[in-house]
Amino acid sequence: MNGLNEVCREAISGNKAALIIGYTEDKHHHLKPFIAHTEADTDKLTYNHNAVNNLAVYLHRFRNRTEGRIGIVVKPCDLKAITALIQENRVKRDDLYVIGVNCSGVVKDQNKEFSKENTQIKCKTCAGKTPAWYDVVVEESVEFELPEDNNALLMKQIEEMSAEERLEFWNSEFEKCIKCYACREVCPMCYCDQCIVDKTEPRWIESSATNRANFAWNMIRAFHQAGRCIGCGECDRVCPADIPLSLLNRKMGMVAFKEFGYRHGTDMNAPTLIGTFSTSDHEEFIR
Amino acid sequence: MLLQRYNMEEKFEPKIAAFVCNWCTYTGADLAGTSRLKQQPNARLIRVPCTGRIDPVFIIKAFESGADGVLVSGCHPGDCHYNAGNFHARRRWIMFRELLEFAGIDSSRLHFSWVSASEGKKWVDVIDGVTETVRKKGPFDQYRKMSRKIELPELEEEGVEI
Amino acid sequence: MRIGVFVCHCGENIGRTVDCHAVAEACAHFPGVAHSEDYKYMCSDPGQNLIKQAIREKGLDAVVVGSCSPHMHEKTFRKACADAGVNPYMVEIANLREHCSWIHDDIKAGTRKSIDLMRFAVEKVKFNVPLSPIRVPVTKRTLVIGGGISGIQAALDVANAGYEVVLVEKEPSIGGHMSQLSETFPTLDCSQCILTPRMVEVYQHPKIKLMSYSEVEKVDGFIGNFTVTIRKKAKSIKEEFCTGCGLCAQKCPIKKKALSEFDEGLSFRSAMYVPFPQAVPNIPVIDREVCTYFKNGKCALCKSVCGRDAIDFDQQDRFVKEEVGAIIVATGYKLYTIDKKPEGSIYKGYGEYGYGKYKDVIDGLQFERIASASGPTSGEILRPSDNKEPQKIVFIQCVGSRDESKGISYCSKICCMYTAKHAMLYKHKVHHGEAYVFYMDIRSGGKNYEEFVRRAIEEDHVKYIRGRVSKIYEEDGKLIVRGEDTIAGMPVTIDADLVVLATAMVPQPEASVLAQTLGVSYDKYGYFQEVHPKLRPVETATGGIFLAGACHSPRDIPECVSMASAAAAKTMVLFGSDMLEREPVVAEVDPSTCAGCFYCKKVCAYNAIDINEIRDRKGQLQKVVAHVNSGLCQGCGTCNATCPSKSIELIGFRDDQIFAQINAFAEV
Repeated sequence: MNGLNEVCREAISGNKAALIIGYTEDKHHHLKPFIAHTEADTDKLTYNHNAVNNLAVYLHRFRNRTEGRIGIVVKPCDLKAITALIQENRVKRDDLYVIGVNCSGVVKDQNKEFSKENTQIKCKTCAGKTPAWYDVVVEESVEFELPEDNNALLMKQIEEMSAEERLEFWNSEFEKCIKCYACREVCPMCYCDQCIVDKTEPRWIESSATNRANFAWNMIRAFHQAGRCIGCGECDRVCPADIPLSLLNRKMGMVAFKEFGYRHGTDMNAPTLIGTFSTSDHEEFIR
Repeated sequence: MLLQRYNMEEKFEPKIAAFVCNWCTYTGADLAGTSRLKQQPNARLIRVPCTGRIDPVFIIKAFESGADGVLVSGCHPGDCHYNAGNFHARRRWIMFRELLEFAGIDSSRLHFSWVSASEGKKWVDVIDGVTETVRKKGPFDQYRKMSRKIELPELEEEGVEI
Repeated sequence: MRIGVFVCHCGENIGRTVDCHAVAEACAHFPGVAHSEDYKYMCSDPGQNLIKQAIREKGLDAVVVGSCSPHMHEKTFRKACADAGVNPYMVEIANLREHCSWIHDDIKAGTRKSIDLMRFAVEKVKFNVPLSPIRVPVTKRTLVIGGGISGIQAALDVANAGYEVVLVEKEPSIGGHMSQLSETFPTLDCSQCILTPRMVEVYQHPKIKLMSYSEVEKVDGFIGNFTVTIRKKAKSIKEEFCTGCGLCAQKCPIKKKALSEFDEGLSFRSAMYVPFPQAVPNIPVIDREVCTYFKNGKCALCKSVCGRDAIDFDQQDRFVKEEVGAIIVATGYKLYTIDKKPEGSIYKGYGEYGYGKYKDVIDGLQFERIASASGPTSGEILRPSDNKEPQKIVFIQCVGSRDESKGISYCSKICCMYTAKHAMLYKHKVHHGEAYVFYMDIRSGGKNYEEFVRRAIEEDHVKYIRGRVSKIYEEDGKLIVRGEDTIAGMPVTIDADLVVLATAMVPQPEASVLAQTLGVSYDKYGYFQEVHPKLRPVETATGGIFLAGACHSPRDIPECVSMASAAAAKTMVLFGSDMLEREPVVAEVDPSTCAGCFYCKKVCAYNAIDINEIRDRKGQLQKVVAHVNSGLCQGCGTCNATCPSKSIELIGFRDDQIFAQINAFAEV
């Protein structure tokens, strides 16, 4: 589209980036992740409403690279993941060439047209159509009709349930979980070399798809993301069992903001929430 | 073993898993013992060097292993033997208890306390208080059902717990 | 694994409310238990022999004892097992007394609980591994930072014990604030008379390496093995040649461009100067800011009169590295600057008292210089403005201290005493003079301190007024002090000739920078933080770094000296052996699973996590992982709980050991 290909071509030819992680269109007119290594490759890059993937997750493959910067095409919501990874010293700002995209919303279902019903819920609460920072920015952002925030509705319903009802609700959701770990694989903040669920001595979380193991897995993943999730919603999108996973992370994000005024991925120099403390953290729940 | 707990003649006796730090709460519990202060016998203490060592996954595992209630206790803020372990723990607890509450395990089952090495009496109050709260709440059957590894409907009809 | 289980009756203590025999019977059926017995007194000699015998006869490699609290006898049983050939860390204790028999009367409940507690211990010990204490070598040299009375005392104590000391002082001379005082309370000893012999002792001591006009730049390493980089600032003098004759300072023509720091700004000093006549070392220093040679290349008079060719205008700051095993911090204090425009700090000024505006409003140290025989007025009490003898002096206590709105909520401890002393010194020299003290409380808790203050009131007739001062202004050459007498319940106005403010003691401004260099904690004021306020007041959380004197909190000279000796004693404990032996309950990283996120490093209170680069044989970076310095790690395990992948574990309380105990809960 406008500007994207020129910018990317120039980035490769001008040695601003050694490679560019972006989107390309397949024969079904879906957009999928694509890594451009040469100028010719950059012609294949594109961006439209189907650009659902959070490409920040691919940055982990290029750790400890010494030759050249990593270019990445990124929409405003996904940029927070990059900011978060910089906050956590996982990538260095100077190792990146960030090609920001002025976004006009992304779809839920790539097979259908972009419309109010077919817009991701996160687009409703998107903090801005322009990325917060970038090396270069492309595209024009176009106004679009905001979708319904069904997640907020569901959150409210859950909070009005009793404790037993809530446990029943989540248990019935997690019963569908097949432990495919797609949620973990697609999440840019899940970058452990060996995940806790893969640790066998001891086996804190069983990998089998039983109710108790599913509950433990989803609880612990949500906890490891507490104060770290940046709300890209990819986990929800990729879950083959349609479990509303992002609600757990959303709840943790709300608590992080309410208790500590903290939002991960907004300030690359901010100290992280977990790993720091304040002597005035509240404690009325502690006897 | 499980059947013994839920005998028809006896009332339900809650099982409480207590994770305590060595320097303050464990020693405070020792003091309660030395002072011969009687308390409910339902808690089983697991000693760690510091509350900072306590990972929320312990709490999940404790419920999986049949605990009806979990108590986590350590040094008062500022008194941690290791300077800041309990500050990190506290922040963890603030996040984790909200998560568990959202998922359906609320503060009637999960308890936290600061008990120093000189607070033997307070330890007794904590133990008795937590035991009573969990006893009123009842056995954590909801979690136990989740923990069932195999479905054997015929045995279930006979009233055998798996 | 062959586990031996031993259940102690502890006489009646456990045996009365727990059926110990039944417990031992139950344990005999636990998988992995090769031997199980009960006995009346397990900690006694016959009891311990039972354990040793069973180890030998049954080939046991781990032992679980059900007894009193591990805080009582864990060491006893560990030693017994070590004597019989079982590694002491293969021993676990189940607390059947304080946590069971002593708190429950129901024998059924008590027995059941004891069996559960034994089971937890048995399950845990299955995952124990043999451990040896960690040994770290110790360099038996000490660095003392600060050459005031605290630093001097600490240095002498350590040096007299036979260990080398490096004493670093940032001013050209050691002595600190004590050398500025005229007389000390409660004895009214001449301060320099008691201090200078110590200063000379330090200078002449064969084991003390004195580096004056120097500062600590960088500290690497850990307890027993510090490498300290020290900046020796350029004095412009070749110290080896200088005899201290003083001719250069005498002849220096720049006499009125710099205010004397030693005289707290009440007099001038030359560009080439020795801070005071009894300075140690008695080597002058050129203040390059005001020296003509350094400003425009002219003069060099000092060089021409120096008979030893000791002047070196080209001298630069030098860096030296010292290897030490312990560091004592004794950087002391300064007085709170209370003029209206403080330098962007947490303190707010006392503009209403006119300090900095009126020449005759001075602080405590300035009064000391006036009262001092070697001071700007040769010991006569004279006003700075017109050199006249003041007939009325007003002393104001608690200026800055105990005032949260001005930024300091603590009490500076020494002001009540030195104000009484100042008033007494004044009255001894100006018999007809009137001395007034505005106070909130009198804090005179030391030995003979209360008697000292009573003496000021009853013998020297110093007038004490309980109340605060709201304002001071000048009128007809007098300072009008407006305050309140709360006991009489009325306002008070005094037309004073001189006002002395007892300003708060605060840490040195660069204290927080030094703290960060050392890796020690400090509070919001900049005072260094001790490990435990009651039981470990001279140690910091960083192993091998100790505190002495007013850098920790406000204190007087005897307390500084005591603390310095205490810090020296701690150093000598450290040097007591060639190798430092520590409990092996430390964390360990598995580099194969570590993702290098360093959340562990963020939560470590002891700076014990290092960054380790793993490279292949060609030098290519493979991954960056965490590494634990077992010399620094104190074994809290916060890193273990914070690590999402559990790549760092606390030996002795590893995940599998705790998991085994929680898992055993299923059998409860």
